[in-house]
Amino acid sequence: MTTLEGRSLSLSFGVHQVLSNLDLELKAGEIHAIVGLNGAGKTTVMRVLLGMLRPDVGEVLIAGKPIDGLQSDDWSSIGYLIETPFVYPELTVRENLSMAASLKGVASGDVADLVDRAIVRLGVGQWADRRSAELSLGNMQRLGLAGAVVHNPDFLVLDEPVNALDPSGVLMVRKLLKEEVERGSGILVSSHHLDEIARVADRITVIHRGSVAGTIDPSEADLERRFFHIAYEADAAAGLVTS
Amino acid sequence: MRVAIKSEWLKLRRSRVTLTIGFLVAFAIPLMSYAFYWVADSGGFGPLAVKADGLIVGTGWDGLFSSSGQIVAAAAFLAFGVAAAWCYGREFADRTFPSLFALAVSRRTISLAKLVVLLLGSLLAVVVMTLVIGALGLMTSLEVSSTSIVGGLGRVFAIGLLSALLAVVAGLVASIGRGYLPALGLLIGLVAIAQLAVLFGTGGWFPFAVPGLIAVAGAEGVPAVTGVQIALVPLLCAVIAFLTARWWGSAQAV
Repeated sequence: MTTLEGRSLSLSFGVHQVLSNLDLELKAGEIHAIVGLNGAGKTTVMRVLLGMLRPDVGEVLIAGKPIDGLQSDDWSSIGYLIETPFVYPELTVRENLSMAASLKGVASGDVADLVDRAIVRLGVGQWADRRSAELSLGNMQRLGLAGAVVHNPDFLVLDEPVNALDPSGVLMVRKLLKEEVERGSGILVSSHHLDEIARVADRITVIHRGSVAGTIDPSEADLERRFFHIAYEADAAAGLVTS
Repeated sequence: MRVAIKSEWLKLRRSRVTLTIGFLVAFAIPLMSYAFYWVADSGGFGPLAVKADGLIVGTGWDGLFSSSGQIVAAAAFLAFGVAAAWCYGREFADRTFPSLFALAVSRRTISLAKLVVLLLGSLLAVVVMTLVIGALGLMTSLEVSSTSIVGGLGRVFAIGLLSALLAVVAGLVASIGRGYLPALGLLIGLVAIAQLAVLFGTGGWFPFAVPGLIAVAGAEGVPAVTGVQIALVPLLCAVIAFLTARWWGSAQAV
């Protein structure tokens, strides 16, 4: 089965250990959510999985291949939105998406059709030929999501995808994730919104202080209580809790 | 590479920064050059006229070429340097650099594509600038030059092109410094150091002084710039392109 996998990942910024022996796997056809407190290492592990940061220890494999040896075709199978949307303010919405599709390896003859489809899916048709600088924060986020999925990737890595979105945007993201996973994509998604993530995730991993601290069944009744219990247990095991 | 060049060209074409720089190089530099020549030629005694008269060699077309060369050597270098600083530094200032990872097109290729479009845009601006300088001279019926008009314009064109090749250093510094400001500081510093190198008589071997020395070639006490010294400019540009691409290939999105 096709996977995106991080094995025994450790990373330090100076004396600050941000990832510690972290294992994470994403399979095709599943939504794997990662949750954690601010600074837990969610965004950092996503950056490592995408090659933006090199781990001090450990390796990243995409479809079984080490990330260092990937060819351009292999990278075409990835779509992502990490923090800032891939948007140039001087370009129109359509131009931004065309550029994203081309840089992600879409053949020139297919770009226009895929861009039109992404514009419809993310509901940015009204602004398609406007400069992106004119977009609101929410619509900028929609454009960033459209750029992440425009090339029909096998894996999607989305960091806080509902950031800045209004309720209709949140519903749109929910629908988008379901459609992508039905198409066979594997989706790694981070969020602070436990209830929202539980609606779509197949499994939830808790990241705490740069390590995997536990898992949560999305169907559990009291997600918040379970989340804080896992974080507390991890702190207690590390001797960080005083009674 | 074609995809990367197409993307970078679109960004360059749509940017107000680069459009403004292109307009300044193509039209403002020729007008400044002509105005500087005109002030020197008018025989006035104001501070600017005295300064201009001391810097400009010859009259008529010769005077215009002298004025243009000196202004182009400094102004075009700064202008193209700002464009290069923007082209590379904006990926950090706009926080788009992380989005250039995990793509079918490598960051090394994107870096080289930026260089290609910068040099193409600079070439276009220098061609228009040279034509505008020629048109100003023809429209004002300047005296016949000691060298041919085409030769003089060719020299101004070469100074502009060499300045563009040197300005790519701003792209490397904007990348390493992850923003525009370090590159802008470097540009100003290099203009100052080039002046010092000329004063100490070693300017010919300092590539950033070469365009300025070509501009004043033939003036009393100015040594001729050799072919080897001129060849150092494209060589330096190639080294900078290599280093910039290497940095882009290995940099992390911290």
